[in-house]
Amino acid sequence: MKPAPFEYHAPTTIDEVLDLLRSHGDDAKLLAGGQSLVPMLALRLTRFEHLVDVNRVAGIDGITRANGTLRIGATTRQRALERDDRVAASVPLLAVAAPHIGHFQIRNRGTVGGSLAHSDPAAELPAVAVALDAGFEVGDRVVPAMDFFTGPWTTCLGDDELLSAARFPVWDGDVRASVQEVARRHGDFALAGAVVQVALDADGRVTRAGIGLIGMASTPWHAIAAEQALIAGAPPLDVAHVAVRDTDPNDDIHASASQRRRMAIAMVERALREVTSARA
Amino acid sequence: MTAGAIASVAGAGRFVGQSVQRREDPRLLTGAGTYVDDVSVPGMLHAAFVRSHVAAGVITQLEVDAAGALDGVVAVLTAADLNRSAGSMQPTIQLHDPANAPLRPLADGDVRFVGEPVALVVARSRAIAEDGCDLVVLDIDPTVPVLTADAALEPGAPLVHRERTSNLAQEQAVLLPQYDAAKAAATHVVRETFSQHRQTPTPMETRGIVAIARPASGELHCHLSSQNPHEARLVISRATGVPEHLVRVTARDVGGGFGQKFLLQREEVVVALAAHRIGRTIKWIEDRRENLIASTHARVDRTTCEVALDAGGNILGAFVDELEDAGAFPVGAAGGAAGAVGAFFPGPYRIPALSWIARAAWTNTCPRGAYRGPWMMETIAREQLIDATARAIGMDPLELRRRNVIGDDELPYTTPMGMTYEAITPAETLEQAARSIGYDEFRSEQRRAFDAHGLLLGIGLSLYVEPCAMGSMDPLGTETATVRVQPSGTVIVSLGSGSHGQGLETTMAQVVADELGIDLDQVIVLQGDTDVAPYGRGTGGSASAIIGANACRAASAVVRERACEIAAHLMEAAPVDLEIVGGEIRVKGTPARAIAWTEVARVAYHETARLGPDMRRGLEATESYTAPPATFANACHACTVEIDPATGVVRILRYVVSEDCGRMINPMIVDGQIAGGVAQGIGGALYEHVVYDDAGNPLTTTFMDYLIPTAAEIPEIEIHHIETPANNPGGHKGVGEGGAIGSPAAVFNAVADALALVGATVTRQPLGPRQVLDALAAVGR
Amino acid sequence: MHEHDVELTVNGEQRRGRVEARTTLADFLRDHLGLTGTHLACEHGVCGACTVLVDGDAVRSCLLFAVQSDGAQVTTIEGIGPAPGELGPVQRAFMECHGLQCGFCTAGLVVSVTAFLDEHPSPDPSAIIDGLSGNLCRCTGYQGIVAAVRRATELRRESHAAGGAA
Repeated sequence: MKPAPFEYHAPTTIDEVLDLLRSHGDDAKLLAGGQSLVPMLALRLTRFEHLVDVNRVAGIDGITRANGTLRIGATTRQRALERDDRVAASVPLLAVAAPHIGHFQIRNRGTVGGSLAHSDPAAELPAVAVALDAGFEVGDRVVPAMDFFTGPWTTCLGDDELLSAARFPVWDGDVRASVQEVARRHGDFALAGAVVQVALDADGRVTRAGIGLIGMASTPWHAIAAEQALIAGAPPLDVAHVAVRDTDPNDDIHASASQRRRMAIAMVERALREVTSARA
Repeated sequence: MTAGAIASVAGAGRFVGQSVQRREDPRLLTGAGTYVDDVSVPGMLHAAFVRSHVAAGVITQLEVDAAGALDGVVAVLTAADLNRSAGSMQPTIQLHDPANAPLRPLADGDVRFVGEPVALVVARSRAIAEDGCDLVVLDIDPTVPVLTADAALEPGAPLVHRERTSNLAQEQAVLLPQYDAAKAAATHVVRETFSQHRQTPTPMETRGIVAIARPASGELHCHLSSQNPHEARLVISRATGVPEHLVRVTARDVGGGFGQKFLLQREEVVVALAAHRIGRTIKWIEDRRENLIASTHARVDRTTCEVALDAGGNILGAFVDELEDAGAFPVGAAGGAAGAVGAFFPGPYRIPALSWIARAAWTNTCPRGAYRGPWMMETIAREQLIDATARAIGMDPLELRRRNVIGDDELPYTTPMGMTYEAITPAETLEQAARSIGYDEFRSEQRRAFDAHGLLLGIGLSLYVEPCAMGSMDPLGTETATVRVQPSGTVIVSLGSGSHGQGLETTMAQVVADELGIDLDQVIVLQGDTDVAPYGRGTGGSASAIIGANACRAASAVVRERACEIAAHLMEAAPVDLEIVGGEIRVKGTPARAIAWTEVARVAYHETARLGPDMRRGLEATESYTAPPATFANACHACTVEIDPATGVVRILRYVVSEDCGRMINPMIVDGQIAGGVAQGIGGALYEHVVYDDAGNPLTTTFMDYLIPTAAEIPEIEIHHIETPANNPGGHKGVGEGGAIGSPAAVFNAVADALALVGATVTRQPLGPRQVLDALAAVGR
Repeated sequence: MHEHDVELTVNGEQRRGRVEARTTLADFLRDHLGLTGTHLACEHGVCGACTVLVDGDAVRSCLLFAVQSDGAQVTTIEGIGPAPGELGPVQRAFMECHGLQCGFCTAGLVVSVTAFLDEHPSPDPSAIIDGLSGNLCRCTGYQGIVAAVRRATELRRESHAAGGAA
């Protein structure tokens, strides 16, 4: 299973990347971690005349924390989310979500930006991004996560645009996170899942919440009403029902739409119980 | 085969019965194996297939000029180039069977399943060959496909093969009045229909061939990923017209087979034909998408079965109606296992009356081929029926089995089909498995967990008898081994097996080392190559220990006899007074009168003047062993599960196997075979499913869709052994397929048992979240 | 399509080649360098049979192009042991525990397990399962493989204690 032929480019600056994208339009595709793109090329499900490898581009890798924001360069490997202590300390949900992404060999190459730009509604990082109201640096603007993901495997990025970094807000206080998924096998894409981050006050009450759903719509789902219900003190099962209420999941051989809703309700509830249980 | 009259070998059992580490491992662990894709020959070309994208249809255009003109493409071959001059592609075991599907190298005028090979592009690299395939214009007018066995047998169904008059590939029936009488006399009659779903063996190494044509000498050397080199040689010889002795097949390291590589299919033959035609070396390595779509599928069975019992729960008789989907071009006899499902249905139970019907139908889907226990639907249907029956009559499934299992005191036992069981221990394995898994304790825990917390726990059993090494199924019933002592005293064993993971280079060496009384590292086993080995049966059908090892024993016995004859002559002793101990042949009771094994070997070849005038020179023997008509192994699998009612996910808590494969040659290897088979059964029960859409397009075309279990899905498998010697010189039975035979029903029964707590039922696999939640929804949960 | 010159270190040796852009690292290792120990069992990044170390990380070599690996340090199954043909602790553990049957998935597993144990020298059972779940095996049912990982942790510990190379 060998890909169709292509020209390979390895720019080192953002400007070079943008020039290449402008020159070749939709004949060009960005290559980051390759963990999603290369299989499609090998299967000849897709082909491009030009691959623009962004792994050597300066300024779009690395993790920095400043001014209450954790900024993650687009070509940062997913493994960095597990290995870099600053991630667990600043945005626990990212550190908790990372081990759910495929397998460690995938995460050694797969990038944060690549996963976000791929916009698979069954992936973890897009759901985390919407749950936490992340912002995406595209050129000189910052796109809110809710505007970034526009459909299954589609984003607001134009043919000549590059996602250069994602910014996640750093929460104060006692912040906990949980990811609960239903997958056919360990490491598979979720049939339905929940990503949850909460901040608790001294009495263990939820003062801030981010709830995202995986696999429950054509884009990652931000369960805003559920967050409000949680903060208002509703019990986990009720919050879970609110979270799933307006979703529109797929019907396929793995699960029907109503079965996915059932699974998602259970996942939200379990995630909430985990983050609100007493710390060992 | 000589036995008692010759010298005894002291320390027999030094290696047989031990978990000796494998000879194969050092090379495989250091990347030094030689699989077919590792073979590279100067000037080698690479091939890729153009395949049908339609399940059934008429080819209206096949235009290859653009592909042929692509830089790097050497040839594009179609049916017009290859089919006319090709000989038969049928396997030896079914060579002239008029019921065979009409096999042709490349699709010719029409296509009969998605993935059917239509053209071969040969190029300087695989990548260029695939580029060439993209340039081939293939237009097909679709016709209505038949995609299920039922649809295939409807009156007026479109024909899969226009050369035949129906889609019925095979029909057998044994309908006896004894069953009707049993049913009439019964207190309980329970009837269920169970289905098994489409799966595919998926060895980690796909199929492949490097066909090296040597026009000057007329030779054709094919490196293959094959379980059966000699059969492959025959098929290639018949198809290409190259005489058998000029065809060589080498299968050095083979990355798994599970039956898929026991017989060749069209692709390998087409590549051999192409190489022979253009006089070049051509490599074709199947890619994974091809393997999932167009190699072989298996296990599409539907069985309606019925059991009649008296008031005490004793089985009076059984009826089986089996329908098998054979795909478009079923591979070999094992592609059609329907009759075996009927005949083997009684399994380990006392079932005095049996009637059965078995049919196989062609459909416009990927060919059915052998997969680890091709007939194993009999175990699924029977064991699942036993559990359903137990629930229906209010008896625990373990108790129902206890009442009906054949006991030791009933052996030898002859089934209604005339098969005689000896040396089997189903009752003992049933008890051992039940004890080991804590059956009674589990029942209490199950009840408590449900009543207190609404948890859905379940336990399932699966008890079976496995026919191994069918001696009557020639050419599969016989193996021949050559044991050849070298002048240095080291030993080369060669046999026509096709080892693909079961460690025959190790186990056969263990046998020969024991038989000759020498050290294990003095023996090497060569196999997997038709130039090296006497004609052989390949490796499959749970037969290596029974047939292969006993052929090695037979040849070793002759070598031992001759070595002792030489030693006796040199020491002026009588052969019966000699024993072989620690690499020496010596007079019993007089250790000083001894001669080294190495010395005997040297004299046999280099000082023949010292041998007696009537004595044979050299020291080697070639002997064969034909297995009895059937040898039966048996086992009991027990499985406990927990169902998450919110998600439908099934989690296996414990998995226990109690098995009897007779005398084990290498217990570590036996455990490995069982574990691998169990993992495939768990995969089939819970995860793996080949799916077609309504037009016959396969939807599960990558490893992201066809879900092979990972380490996270397979629990610890606890294995217990009983060794009841079978009636053959080594006392062995087969073990290669058993793990896959017993497991699906054990898992299914455990899930059905858990669902029964809330009155939910299932009759089909796989039992993924969707199916479990559907079952719960049907009872309002 | 034009070709690219690549230069990388493979098992400690400088190696060069001229490749099409679409040539994967796996195909480069196998076809250009003759290192056929790395196997292709799916070519779409699921099975893990093609796993090699690139700059110390275990990656699927079927999802990396050779041109991307220019300048990289690559370790394959042929170089993961202490010396050519010699077995390191992970390999010995696999042999002792019957962690392989047909051997086709084995190279990817040995490399993955080596990388995994480098990062988790004393893994608990669930970490072991997690670490193994990215490699498919069809023969062993994983029993021998899980046992091999446990045994490998012991052998590595002994080897470190004895002051020898891992």
